[in-house]
Amino acid sequence: MNPYVPIIAVGAIGFGFGLISLAAGALTGPKRYNRAKLEAYECGIEPSPQAQGGGRFPIKYFLTAMLFIIFDIEIVFLYPWAVTFDQLGVFGLIEMALFILTVFVAYVYVWRRGGLEWD
Amino acid sequence: MTGFVTPKLEYVALLPMLIIFAGAIIGVLVEAFAKQSLRKFIHSLLTPTTLLLALFQVFANKDLVTTNAAINSVVIDGPVIIAQGTILILTLISLLFILDVDSFAPEASALPGSEEERKALAIGKQQTEIFPLLLFSVAGMMLFPAANDLITLFIALEVLSLPLYLMAGLSRRRRLFSQESAMKYFLLGAYSSAFFIFGAAFLYGYSGSIQFSQIRSAVVGSSGNDVLLLIGIVFLSVGLLFKVGAVPFHAWTPDVYQGAPTPITGFMAAVTKVAAFLAVLRIFYTVLDGAIWQWRPLLTAVAILTMVVGSVVALVQRDVKRMLAYSSIAHAGFLLTGVIAFNKAGLESSLFYLLAYGIATLGAFGIITLIQDSQGEVTDLNRWAGLGKKSPAIASAFAFFLLTFAGIPLTSGFIGKFSIFSAAYESGNIAVVVVGVLTSALAAFFYIRVIVLMFFTDAKDATVTVTLPTLRSSIAVWGTAFLTLILGVLPNSTLSFIENLAIFTR
Amino acid sequence: MDISYYLYLSAALFVIGAVGVVIRRNAIVIFMCIELMLNASNLAFVTFARIHGNLEGQMVAFFTMVVAACEVVVGLAIIVMIYRSRRSASVDDASLLRR
Repeated sequence: MNPYVPIIAVGAIGFGFGLISLAAGALTGPKRYNRAKLEAYECGIEPSPQAQGGGRFPIKYFLTAMLFIIFDIEIVFLYPWAVTFDQLGVFGLIEMALFILTVFVAYVYVWRRGGLEWD
Repeated sequence: MTGFVTPKLEYVALLPMLIIFAGAIIGVLVEAFAKQSLRKFIHSLLTPTTLLLALFQVFANKDLVTTNAAINSVVIDGPVIIAQGTILILTLISLLFILDVDSFAPEASALPGSEEERKALAIGKQQTEIFPLLLFSVAGMMLFPAANDLITLFIALEVLSLPLYLMAGLSRRRRLFSQESAMKYFLLGAYSSAFFIFGAAFLYGYSGSIQFSQIRSAVVGSSGNDVLLLIGIVFLSVGLLFKVGAVPFHAWTPDVYQGAPTPITGFMAAVTKVAAFLAVLRIFYTVLDGAIWQWRPLLTAVAILTMVVGSVVALVQRDVKRMLAYSSIAHAGFLLTGVIAFNKAGLESSLFYLLAYGIATLGAFGIITLIQDSQGEVTDLNRWAGLGKKSPAIASAFAFFLLTFAGIPLTSGFIGKFSIFSAAYESGNIAVVVVGVLTSALAAFFYIRVIVLMFFTDAKDATVTVTLPTLRSSIAVWGTAFLTLILGVLPNSTLSFIENLAIFTR
Repeated sequence: MDISYYLYLSAALFVIGAVGVVIRRNAIVIFMCIELMLNASNLAFVTFARIHGNLEGQMVAFFTMVVAACEVVVGLAIIVMIYRSRRSASVDDASLLRR
């Protein structure tokens, strides 16, 4: 079998998943149009010609950004592991589980101390 | 495609560090799940237990020698064992002060002087994250001298530094001041680690490997005059010399020492130095030893400059913490002579010096936490006048530590300085030794000035009091004084213990 | 193309960052300059990895990225704390210690 066939298959599945999700949402979801929905999406900020408050973001975004970094870092290490997953075997699995567990501890800390509450 | 070999880890050799990391992670979980009122209590049990367990394991590993603890990334040998033991012992002592004194902000996220802060103060809140942060930092410090490749070295450097940046900003009183010192420490620390990693990149470029053993063989087999190698050595040294606070990379030291909570300052001054110097010694003794004619002149200049600037600027300081900061810079210079010595005696004397200096430093900073007025700690030297009459015992202990820093006979400081200078003399670095002895004499002057101020000047300020030390800080103050005396009077057993173990494994 | 050009680029980026730290006054900008220096080191590592034909340099680049991210978290926390206390992120305004 041509080695590119699985890649094309994965690509096709990914593309199909996107199509099916979009179609399912459009067909089954409720449709309620209001003003907010028609506005340009800007991460919850009121879009306006002049940026409000001199273009400054509320400090709350800072915490969200830092939280993002926790998972961002996790991914950096997951990729190399994913590539050699079959060769590292059980050892790799256990080590990565430990690694993810430590990242999760940080996440639990943030969650318990109210870092995820928006207001 | 070549198959990957499953890495082998020697868990016993790594256990002390793993214990500390596990303790730190449990500490974070305590922060997440325990009730506010219980947190400090739980940490006060968890943190010392973790440290003691690790210390026990380090001692059990005493005769272990391996360069293969984690696929050539971690080396465990005599100097590492001594360094890890020293780090743990010093941390345990400083923990006594950290647990004891209310030096930390009630709530770091509340603005200084705000209603929120007042509320947090009123209900007796305290930022207990300090304990897991401390453990993370200790774990980094234990890994730093044990690193056997450039990545591990860099990661350990960051793991030890990042918690320190945060802890420096958590002082309870004069919070703006403390926050500024944290920012300064962070910006300069990050700057220096950028230099460090750039230097590491060029060492890798030169040798084609990040492993110390292979870098070493590349350096030994060359003339040592390669541009890549020189850039690598210079930039890597900048990063390391920043951590030890050598001139001209010392700008952060006085500010951070002054702004950080005093028990943390003691911790930074004593324990960080052990980790940083052991890493410096390992790099210059075992990795770059083939290029000694390239780095020795550089380090000699830095050492001389450090000793002179540290001693001279300390003379004009009016704040106790700043004075001790400059004194720690001068001591970094003395310790650098041990690196320049480049012989076994240099390594042994550095290890002894670090232990002796660390213990005395913790004692001195611990005493500073006891000298208070209604606003908190008093660090203005003029207000220390007449302290010898108010509290002869505490003032004598402080005087004793100052004499140790000065290197007066019968203190551990004398043995340390004597052995480190004779090691440098043995290897023929006469100039450094002469400067070292002269600046020691100069340094003795400002220590004695403080002693005169405490004992032979009348008190001008009645508001300054010596708070009665609690059991924990009494143990810490008198314990450190006792150890300093023992190391000064009967140093032989410690010296021979160090002598037997102090051999770097390549 | 000669691969050493990447090293010149890396050195140039590093110098831009190093000079920026010294001449800029806003803590955030200083911090961005430090990140630039770290990324210049990354480029050097990856280039050397290519020259030597091994993967160690690329591996270091991963770790440097992670460390840079951790520094972002800690650094921003400190800078935001200062900013909230005194409504300014200029390192010149933070001068209590200078006296």
